[in-house]
Amino acid sequence: MDGRSVEDNMPVAVIKTKSELALSEQFQAALPSLPGGPEVATHRRAAIAAFTEFGLPHRRIEDWKYTDLRTALKDPALPSVDATAKLTVADLIVALGPFMNMDAARIVFVNGHFRAALSNVTGTDTITVTPLSASFDSLSPLSTDAITALNTAFVTDGAVIDIPDGVTLEQPLLVVSLSVGRDARLSTIRNRISVGAGASATIAELYLTLPGSTVDGQTNALTEVTISRGATLTHVKALSEGGRATHLSNWNVSLGAEANYRAFQLSSGVALARNQIGVTFTGEHAKIDVSGTFLGRGSDHIDTTLTVDHAVPHCESRELFAGVLDGHARGIFQGKIIVRPHAQKSDGKMMARALMLSPDAEFDSKPELEIYADDVVCGHGSTAAELDEDLMFYCQSRGIPAAEARALLVKSFIGEAIARVDNEAVRTALEACADAWLAQDQTNSAVT
Amino acid sequence: MLEIKNLHVKLADEDKVILDGLDLVVPKGEVHAIMGPNGSGKSTLAYVLAGRAGYEVTDGDILWNGESLLEMAPDERAAAGVFLAFQYPMEIPGVAGLTFLRTATNAVRKKRGLEELTTPEFMKVVRGKAAALNIDFEMLKRPVNVGFSGGEKKRSEILQMAMLEPSLCVLDETDSGLDIDALKIVSDGVNALRSPDRSMLVITHYQRLLDYIVPDKVHVLARGRIQTTGDKDLAKELEKSGYAGFVDAA
Repeated sequence: MDGRSVEDNMPVAVIKTKSELALSEQFQAALPSLPGGPEVATHRRAAIAAFTEFGLPHRRIEDWKYTDLRTALKDPALPSVDATAKLTVADLIVALGPFMNMDAARIVFVNGHFRAALSNVTGTDTITVTPLSASFDSLSPLSTDAITALNTAFVTDGAVIDIPDGVTLEQPLLVVSLSVGRDARLSTIRNRISVGAGASATIAELYLTLPGSTVDGQTNALTEVTISRGATLTHVKALSEGGRATHLSNWNVSLGAEANYRAFQLSSGVALARNQIGVTFTGEHAKIDVSGTFLGRGSDHIDTTLTVDHAVPHCESRELFAGVLDGHARGIFQGKIIVRPHAQKSDGKMMARALMLSPDAEFDSKPELEIYADDVVCGHGSTAAELDEDLMFYCQSRGIPAAEARALLVKSFIGEAIARVDNEAVRTALEACADAWLAQDQTNSAVT
Repeated sequence: MLEIKNLHVKLADEDKVILDGLDLVVPKGEVHAIMGPNGSGKSTLAYVLAGRAGYEVTDGDILWNGESLLEMAPDERAAAGVFLAFQYPMEIPGVAGLTFLRTATNAVRKKRGLEELTTPEFMKVVRGKAAALNIDFEMLKRPVNVGFSGGEKKRSEILQMAMLEPSLCVLDETDSGLDIDALKIVSDGVNALRSPDRSMLVITHYQRLLDYIVPDKVHVLARGRIQTTGDKDLAKELEKSGYAGFVDAA
């Protein structure tokens, strides 16, 4: 086109998609009912302005090559303003499933709103656990990330957890977010976790639904984590919001010297998930293990995008993500390890594995190492494979029928990843989640 | 009783014939050894008995107590009493040995019309059998065979065999990779399972194993069929003369 050179020098007029326009419009409609004072409202407006400028990320942006939100997010839902949806403790027990069996405190949100009646924080008197809505005074600075911008614009609640210096939280703390109801709805959660020097805790974020209420729930969850010197945090997430749910999330973690961060994410039972995890080392001799498993079938699309920033020397990072993909499911793992120029003696190892149960499933793995220091040990690997026929035969020759053998081997594959969770009660519950996902498959095959 | 009649087997995706008219009878309660040179089809025979995919039976039949095994899936054969102790036992990361044993034991019991074992019952049985095989019980809490030595893997196979209570035990090169102490433990474990109701087929390249597991009969398998049959002394003769005569014979 002859006008091309002229266009290059002009602001690009991007055509907004229907959903981008809808999100901006919905924001104007929702703003009066969203919590927080004038300062928060200002942050929200700035965030939606930034979002309006950038729009939804799409495949021509490298980080979003495999997850095009412009096409995937066709009908953005309105934030749920109804904080009164009827939900009893009995419902909660059903939703929590295996997580109900453990001795744990919990703070519960339903469709993005704190529910005191369902929460139970006994045993947490050494720490502070409050809903964000109780002290909604500010939101973090602007981000160029679209999911974060939308989170800032629409956030309604979340957990603010403060573990003072030297405190050890004995039992796990569950941060439960339930998405329920028959209508499409947006739940926007922002959690803040601060672990003081030498403190130690296990926190599990659970994004769940109730049987029969799986109608296009949309969740946007952001968790900011600060781990101080010498502190240890086991940080787990279990996602199972229903077969038509959309889940966008960010974990932004910063850890100080000699801190230890052990993270695990289980993603299953979701139509579209984009889990972004960013970890930055800010003090030397800190260690992380960020691992997870993603379980997809049907046309599920589960994306894990991870960035580990070795910004200081002498830190160690380990990552293992193991996915099981059946039907037409698509799993994505993008993992980037950055080692800054002065971050000598950095030690990073990243692994992504997928078990392909169907010829139509797809696994996209994109490991990236950006290493600017010369005295480091960094490596990555990626595999995608079908179930091992020899192992199948071995199990069957021991009398285990084919369907059971297959389930056992898939479980074994997932179990290897879940084994990295050090808290036994949480690990057992995660295994039960994986078992439930596998059992659904057996139910389905029994029907067909 | 095991009856193999005129068994012809080829690789499923190649034209290579491996077993070429094999006949063999192992009566109830007897232990028979199959010896033969490398590549004679010994392991193929073991796999075909257990029902591994990748082989095609083009002629003949395998009858176990009068019933053909050929149409049965591997797990159905296990329920019918067939057990194959692998030459190279598989590692299953992420599945604890006890879980695997219990799943297998109860699957087989269920198909045989027996009550499934409860956890306490199972634990009692497995503790006793593991102790008899000198297997550290803690080892069974670890993933199946992962990080086990050659000897530990073979003992783990014999423990599985003891738990599943088969009536036909097929031992494929169980002596391979074993030092003399491990060989003794494994052989004791196998001998403890000898009974008038149980038939065994011991496949081995070397005579050594047969000093410990003394067979009722020894068969020489070469070029896809049984070439000769004798008593335990045949194994000793083979140790001296080798298999050359059978490979070269027309």
